[in-house]
Amino acid sequence: MIRRIGRNVTAALFCLVWIFPVYWMVLTAFKPAGKILQPTPEFLPFDVTFANFADALAKPGFVQDLVNSVVVVVAVVALSIVVAFLAATALTRFRFFGRRGFLIGVLVLQMVPVPALVIPLFLGLKSAHLLDTLFGLILTYVALVLPFTIWTLRGFLHGIPVELEEAAMVDGATRGRVMRSVLLPLVLPGLIATSVFAFITAWNDFLFAYVIMKDSSGYTLPVWLVSFSTSTGTDYGGLIAASTLFALPVVVFFALVQRHLVEGMTAGAVKG
Amino acid sequence: MLPIRPKAGRPSSGTCHGHESHPAVTVVGLATNGTVLEKAPPEAPPRPATPRRRRSLLPYGLLLPATVLLGLVLGYPLVRLVVISLQQYSLRSLFTGTTSFAGLANYAAVLGDDQLLPVLGRSIGFCAALVLGTLVIGFGVALLLQRLGRGMRTAVTLCLIAAWALPNVASTLVWQWLFQPGYGVVNWLLTQVGFGDLTQHDWTTSPASAFTLVWLLVVWQSVPFVALTLYAGLSQIPRSYYEAAALDGARPWRVHRTITLPFLQPILGLVTILSVIWDFTVFNQIWILTQGGPNDGTTTLGIWTFTRAFSRNDFGQGAAIAVVSVALLVAMTAVYVRRLVRSGEDL
Amino acid sequence: MRRRTFAAALAVAAVTATAACGTDTPAPSAQGGGQLTVWLMNGDLSDKATAAINAAFEKATGAKVTVQIQEWDNINTKISTALAQDTTPDVIEIGNTDVPLFAANGALADLTPHRDELAAGQSWLPGLAGPATVDGHVYGAPLFAGNRAVVYDKQVWADAGITAPPKTFTELTQDLDKLKAKHPAADYSAFHFPGKYWFGALQFVWDAGGQIATQKDGKWAGALESPEAQKGLQAWKDFQNAYSSAASRNVDTKAPDQAAIFSAGGAGAILDTSVNTVVKNKPELKDRLGTFPFPSATPGKTQPVFLGGSDLVVAAKSRNPDLALAYLKAATDPAVQRDAIVGIDGWTPISTQLIDQVTPTLPPLNAAFATAAKTSVATPAAPGWATIESDKSINTFFADIATGRRPIADAAKDFDAHLTEALNAR
Repeated sequence: MIRRIGRNVTAALFCLVWIFPVYWMVLTAFKPAGKILQPTPEFLPFDVTFANFADALAKPGFVQDLVNSVVVVVAVVALSIVVAFLAATALTRFRFFGRRGFLIGVLVLQMVPVPALVIPLFLGLKSAHLLDTLFGLILTYVALVLPFTIWTLRGFLHGIPVELEEAAMVDGATRGRVMRSVLLPLVLPGLIATSVFAFITAWNDFLFAYVIMKDSSGYTLPVWLVSFSTSTGTDYGGLIAASTLFALPVVVFFALVQRHLVEGMTAGAVKG
Repeated sequence: MLPIRPKAGRPSSGTCHGHESHPAVTVVGLATNGTVLEKAPPEAPPRPATPRRRRSLLPYGLLLPATVLLGLVLGYPLVRLVVISLQQYSLRSLFTGTTSFAGLANYAAVLGDDQLLPVLGRSIGFCAALVLGTLVIGFGVALLLQRLGRGMRTAVTLCLIAAWALPNVASTLVWQWLFQPGYGVVNWLLTQVGFGDLTQHDWTTSPASAFTLVWLLVVWQSVPFVALTLYAGLSQIPRSYYEAAALDGARPWRVHRTITLPFLQPILGLVTILSVIWDFTVFNQIWILTQGGPNDGTTTLGIWTFTRAFSRNDFGQGAAIAVVSVALLVAMTAVYVRRLVRSGEDL
Repeated sequence: MRRRTFAAALAVAAVTATAACGTDTPAPSAQGGGQLTVWLMNGDLSDKATAAINAAFEKATGAKVTVQIQEWDNINTKISTALAQDTTPDVIEIGNTDVPLFAANGALADLTPHRDELAAGQSWLPGLAGPATVDGHVYGAPLFAGNRAVVYDKQVWADAGITAPPKTFTELTQDLDKLKAKHPAADYSAFHFPGKYWFGALQFVWDAGGQIATQKDGKWAGALESPEAQKGLQAWKDFQNAYSSAASRNVDTKAPDQAAIFSAGGAGAILDTSVNTVVKNKPELKDRLGTFPFPSATPGKTQPVFLGGSDLVVAAKSRNPDLALAYLKAATDPAVQRDAIVGIDGWTPISTQLIDQVTPTLPPLNAAFATAAKTSVATPAAPGWATIESDKSINTFFADIATGRRPIADAAKDFDAHLTEALNAR
């Protein structure tokens, strides 16, 4: 009993500490301009205003950047899942020359410091004529998340007994069908886990979006987010409201996916 | 993540009858509630998937898209990075495409720089502090999640997700505000609690407290991923193991050592390696909060790469630093990576 | 059900992939079609001022112009990679201190033959034209200048018993002492002067006769160890420590935002480029604000100011060099400068003649900035200057002094070495 209370108190304290910065951001977003900088802080919303949100949404480029972001994120999530799933299948269901090399190589690719990657990546995309295209940006993000997604899905696939597939093949299913109707449902939670990672990566990146897309019609939302900082100062109210709006889809996506995650698990266990 | 396979007491896998008893034993990267626990098989961990030994071109076909993508977007730049590190590569080279071969001059310059050793020391020390902090807190939270009731668990999970979902731009900005001298809430709170008047205190004036500031931010951002992943791993451990241990009267610490840790080892390994990789090259958070100062006191490899490549526009030296740091990371993680790759093979 | 979801996901992927490919096809390029692409920086010119320049350009050439607004975050990387491509923007606005970086590396068109035509008899401010001139060749035309003057709240000063703005440095410190006596709280700054505010701190160095760096026989040398510079640095440290709160010693102007601190009543005065941000934060302050140039230690003079602002450059690979030149001509045109740069946006115009012309007509709040601009100094016109700004070493240098972390002489010695190395690079 005492232990349980102790745990709950610990958990409550943890929540308090971890949520506080987020709470502070949301709270500030609703504060009027004059109250953003106060020597004695206010911890509750006494004086709520929506002006910062109105400011944020009135900023030019929002709709266009939002559309670009959605296109990029959907494509990155879908592509990275498919590509990583195929690769993970190969890595766990076959024994072939170069398997370990591939796994290690993929991990090494993650080790390059991002600031060092910008110029070589730029040069690579330039030679491939992919600069200034959303397609080039999408490929970049897919490659950036692939090392993680491949390793993760490899783990998932390993947990699934190969007998399941063999049984299905004995029943006369083709290999493609086995992949689709046996492996895929079982690995769904893994796909969802990796899709969250891909989503956050593609949604949050500023630097590559800014450098790869030369024309401003191709910018994504993070570029909109930094546009609140100008040479004559930063519109903190607008910026913080914009950040709140910006974080919202990720939370929503997570909430949606969480339901499917559970559903996928349940279905996998029952029907598998 | 990696499949969890018990190291001891693995029952024979002859009990696998295809459909109805299929246990979905996988480690879910992001389990978000207790369902996973209930669904975990009470007995019989599965027989691990055995790679087929047939020679076929199919696996290469399956790997093709990933290889092409990684090759084009990361592999080619990596090669190019190495080439640039051997060249005199300035802004002019970028504009005109003309470069000159520099041999090992960039490496000589970097390795002979007085900054090298301090930067390396700081990078390694800071990375260790970050990884340790993230793993200890993350593991603690994962254990806590496992023992909490449904409501509290959801609350903790939501807090973790909210922290994770916050864009980098927003989290660094909020961090600056929280710790701002004169107006920061944290300083105000510390003053109220009785640490003396800290309202005017500036966290970025000394390297140690500046590092603390960055450490808090990075740990705050990375704990969610680690905690949720480890929790998912924990929830895959069959309850019966713990029940048996309890019957034997084993102490909690012993239970951890003999059941929890072996079960979690592969996943812990991957999380550790990823944390090491991410934290060793951490750049944005340091740059925004301290710009590597004061007196270069928070200049790590990431910052050094950036200032060489982009402030001095000496991309050759920047590339050389990057290559050195990749080599270091490879050396630091080699043993672990090998073990990790093997753990995916047959037991 | 699950399968369907996945199939749907695949379908979405396919569709978006195609859609993405669709947008790939390069927009029909504008060669010869009378279309010009111009990049301007976020926050510099207002939409109205930009429209005025565009109108002048379109009227003169009949061509169309597309303006794209760029963000400051990572701007040099953005411009570098854009200039390294085969199709570049035609005209780019670059912050004056960063122009040498691009000019010295072959990315910009040489405008030397057109200089006189562009200047049209005006003498451009050295702070803007200097950095655009490398080895005697001109690579850019000035767009606007910005500099700093003291912004204060007349009512707050009156409450402390100060009735007229200070004319000399001594008067200023006496006034600030009165303010300090009136507001003894530790977090109050009689004059908020952030420790990393190098644009402001340099004014003290120049006022004492010091310089950042000197050039001799083509070689640069950091000059902050000179006795004059040391005197200026000491004067600045004394001023900063006396009148700005302890919390301000290691911060820049943005976090916390100095205009926000001022409008919230946390400071009696700030050094800023205009009153606009303060007014935006707290509109009711508008009629209470006053401005004056920062007085020099030498009675009767004002401190030399750092001249910021932007130049317009033409990309070497521009496909419309003639139109690009016409755009520069439109932007530097005295009428456009008067109406748009000064009239609409309140910036300082690009030539001394224009400053003299417009100063009498300016509203009192703006006049102080124009007056201050007449004694201005620029940063060294070397490509390596961009390194000093980009690696933030200059911010740290001043913060080291303000916080007392390092003795002034030590900090200056190391920073001089860094300056010498960076400014002579390549």
